[in-house]
Amino acid sequence: MNFDISDEQKVVSDLARQIFEGHASVERVKYIEREGDGFDRDLWSELAKANLLGLCIPEDDGGSGFGLVELGLILEEQGRRVAPVPVWATLALGALPIAEFGTAAQRAQWLPGVCAGDVVLSAALNERGADDALRPLTTATRTANGWHLKGFKPTVPAAQFAQRVLVTARQDDGRIGVFLLDPTQAGVVVEPVRATNHQPHAHLVIDTVVSAEDRLGGPEGDGEEQIHFILERALVGLCALQLGVCGAAIEQTAAYTSGRLQFSKPLSTFQAVGHQAADAFILTEPMRVTMLQAAWRLMHGLPSRQEVLIAKYWASEGGQKVVHLCQHLHGGMGSDIDYPIHRYFLWGVQIESTLGAGSAQLARIGELIAREGR
Amino acid sequence: MDIGDSVEEAAFRAEARAWLEQHAPHRDPTKRHKQSSTDTEQDVHAQACRDWQRVLYDGGWAGLTWPKRFGGRGGTPWQAAIFGEEQSKFDVATGAFAVAHGMVAPTLMMHGTDEQRGYLDAMLRGDEVWCQLFSEPEAGSDLANIGTRAVLDGGEWIINGQKVWTSGAQHSEFAILLARTDPDAPKHAGITYFILDMNSPGIEVRPLRQITGVAHFNEVFLTDVRIPVANVVGEVNAGWKIAHTTLSNERALIGGGNTAWSIQELIEMARHYGRTNDPVVRQGIAKAHSRAAVLQYMGYRLRTSISRGEMPGVVASTMKLFYARHWAQTTGLALTIQGANGALWGDSALDDGLWQQTFLGQYAVRLGGGTDEIQGNVIGERALGLPREPAADRDLPWRETRGSTR
Ligand SMILES: Cc1cc2nc3c(=O)[nH]c(=O)nc-3n(C[C@H](O)[C@H](O)[C@H](O)COP(=O)(O)OP(=O)(O)OC[C@H]3O[C@@H](n4cnc5c(N)ncnc54)[C@H](O)[C@@H]3O)c2cc1C
Ligand SMILES: Cc1cc2nc3c(=O)[nH]c(=O)nc-3n(C[C@H](O)[C@H](O)[C@H](O)COP(=O)(O)OP(=O)(O)OC[C@H]3O[C@@H](n4cnc5c(N)ncnc54)[C@H](O)[C@@H]3O)c2cc1C
Repeated sequence: MNFDISDEQKVVSDLARQIFEGHASVERVKYIEREGDGFDRDLWSELAKANLLGLCIPEDDGGSGFGLVELGLILEEQGRRVAPVPVWATLALGALPIAEFGTAAQRAQWLPGVCAGDVVLSAALNERGADDALRPLTTATRTANGWHLKGFKPTVPAAQFAQRVLVTARQDDGRIGVFLLDPTQAGVVVEPVRATNHQPHAHLVIDTVVSAEDRLGGPEGDGEEQIHFILERALVGLCALQLGVCGAAIEQTAAYTSGRLQFSKPLSTFQAVGHQAADAFILTEPMRVTMLQAAWRLMHGLPSRQEVLIAKYWASEGGQKVVHLCQHLHGGMGSDIDYPIHRYFLWGVQIESTLGAGSAQLARIGELIAREGR
Repeated sequence: MDIGDSVEEAAFRAEARAWLEQHAPHRDPTKRHKQSSTDTEQDVHAQACRDWQRVLYDGGWAGLTWPKRFGGRGGTPWQAAIFGEEQSKFDVATGAFAVAHGMVAPTLMMHGTDEQRGYLDAMLRGDEVWCQLFSEPEAGSDLANIGTRAVLDGGEWIINGQKVWTSGAQHSEFAILLARTDPDAPKHAGITYFILDMNSPGIEVRPLRQITGVAHFNEVFLTDVRIPVANVVGEVNAGWKIAHTTLSNERALIGGGNTAWSIQELIEMARHYGRTNDPVVRQGIAKAHSRAAVLQYMGYRLRTSISRGEMPGVVASTMKLFYARHWAQTTGLALTIQGANGALWGDSALDDGLWQQTFLGQYAVRLGGGTDEIQGNVIGERALGLPREPAADRDLPWRETRGSTR
């Protein structure tokens, strides 16, 4: 047993850190937030150039064939800089499922483009009024040469930039399907919405026909299995992002409270301050180990349902506590958006509630334990 | 002890209610106010506060607990509480006067000259809004470390320095200001408390945008600003004691203030999202309800002690700390109830993102008026009699402590 990342993985992590530190400075992030559309395309092409977008895509599809642990390391580094690029949506929600389940044509059409940085992907997992992504309310009705999709998908990440969105739907034959939808096609309304962390999201109003070739995995593809697969990657990806957000927020808080003097001494020498920072640190370590455990098991094809939920519980519950502590220890500075720490707070609370907050994960873990035992 | 309405109190409530019915529009209890986020909306809000304050004044309801000789109604803290409860059912606001009525007025009544008490009437009439120029970049929790300088020049003080996090400075006619008048005295002994006319030359107000999306606090730069000697409150160099009066009233104001929401609104929201059967939501709302009850009862105790003429002390610190936690926990619950929609923002979210704004606004409550930790220190020292944390800089001349201060 070796519960640490390998030397090779360390290289990935270092490379990712170098790119994000070099291209997502505080000034740059601020600039994109103020002037841009929330998508830093320069950073995106740097990631592609460094081959980080293709890192976890199979070699046959133009990538380097690494796995989910490596993707987690990249996302952690992104979280550390709260960098405005759709890595999570494109890779965890789009590319990994296409690589796993896609037909040869689907893989050839989308994956090389992802590696090159030309393609943004996403998935529409939420539905209003349905907490359970496995029971979509969106419908898919068979037509002569395709599927008529109809439904409403709220808060789809990066939908306004995506070439394809993986849309989950209940078919008229009772099965579940996942469909590769072009959000720019007629019959799809993309309604950009504002999110707490100011990252691009959009609601999709769908009433359109996609061709039969756009069903993920072809006619035999098992939609339920696919949704499980996507959800697990999505959750672990969020955990990795949150780990980066929290890790960097704590470091910045440690530096800030050590540099700021009140009562003629550093804030950090008040034990009420030091202990809160230590609490934040103690909450971050469980986030790291549970995320690595879940990512590693998934990567090796081991049953991971509980591990994934446990990781997201810590990312939600621990993560929100950490960003609150860091925000609070910055005093008035935390409330001033000219100063960077507030972004960590906003990302932290956004990730907390995405795909279920802590209490929702606990409920799911409880159900699993009651059903399966442990 | 008696904590229901007495016969007189019930009569007072009926009278207040009848008057409000005639003079104020009703508030839809299920709909919350959109918070003013743009500059124009904030101007409109400030003006609405002024207008309503004028109506209160003309109707004889302004300054409910103020003594009659200061233009008030001479009522009891209980009557103020009752009036506040009734008023909250109507679509009116008084927020712009929080500093003036809640902090400046009690300070001037206790320490001001007769001439300075002349300011009370204009703030009661709704003509003059006040702000608090206390915090500085290097003086937050360590407020006594302020470095803004005041130097006497004939009949005037000349002020130079910078203040920060000043709420509402852009709408204010007047400010209370702390400045250093004796840098060679220990830090608490060289501070003077001033009244400042915000229209004086040399004042520059620069808005800072807050995490809530609202630009309601500011940096204020003071360059050769002149203040007449008559505007010193209390004695020169004895401003710290006067600031104490203001700060303890600020705690009572925050801790005893009403929350911006009602438990009923949480219940309505849980219904809206079909989550009233979720045990996490049910227990969360029940806990919030029980905390609100605690705050209400503590408020009664606070008012009882004020009505005996006591300064709001440990009770106010306790309430402020409890209230800050209540605010944080309850607005967090509100976002939990919203589920995935909780992560939306602004006009994409329920009620134009008001709950998100209130959630982020918890830091104003947890930091303003002395942070959670400072309240904790106060409670440790005053309620439990724990020794004060040793501080090396306390008795040194302020000037000598400067080198080590960033
Ligand atoms: C079962 C037992 C066996 C012991 N055996 C021995 C022994 O063999 N030899 C020996 O010399 N002593 C022994 N002790 C005593 C023990 O070392 C002291 O009680 C302990 O170090 C606390 O120090 P104190 O008594 O000075 O209390 P204080 O230092 O006054 O502590 C009182 C409280 O304040 C907290 N506290 C104190 N300082 C800090 C700080 N800087 N930061 C945060 N919290 C703080 C403490 O945790 C404690 O809760 C023993 C104690 C116990 C309970
Ligand atoms: C929304 C908002 C509105 C405000 N409006 C006004 C206003 O109108 N006028 C005005 O004058 N000020 C205003 N303030 C300023 C407010 O009073 C200060 O933010 C507060 O006193 C804390 O100071 P600071 O921000 O410098 O934080 P710091 O003092 O630097 O504190 C940073 C952190 O360290 C902790 N800490 C500091 N000292 C200790 C200690 N001794 N022991 C343990 N922990 C400690 C604090 O609790 C905090 O968590 C406002 C602040 C906010 C956020």
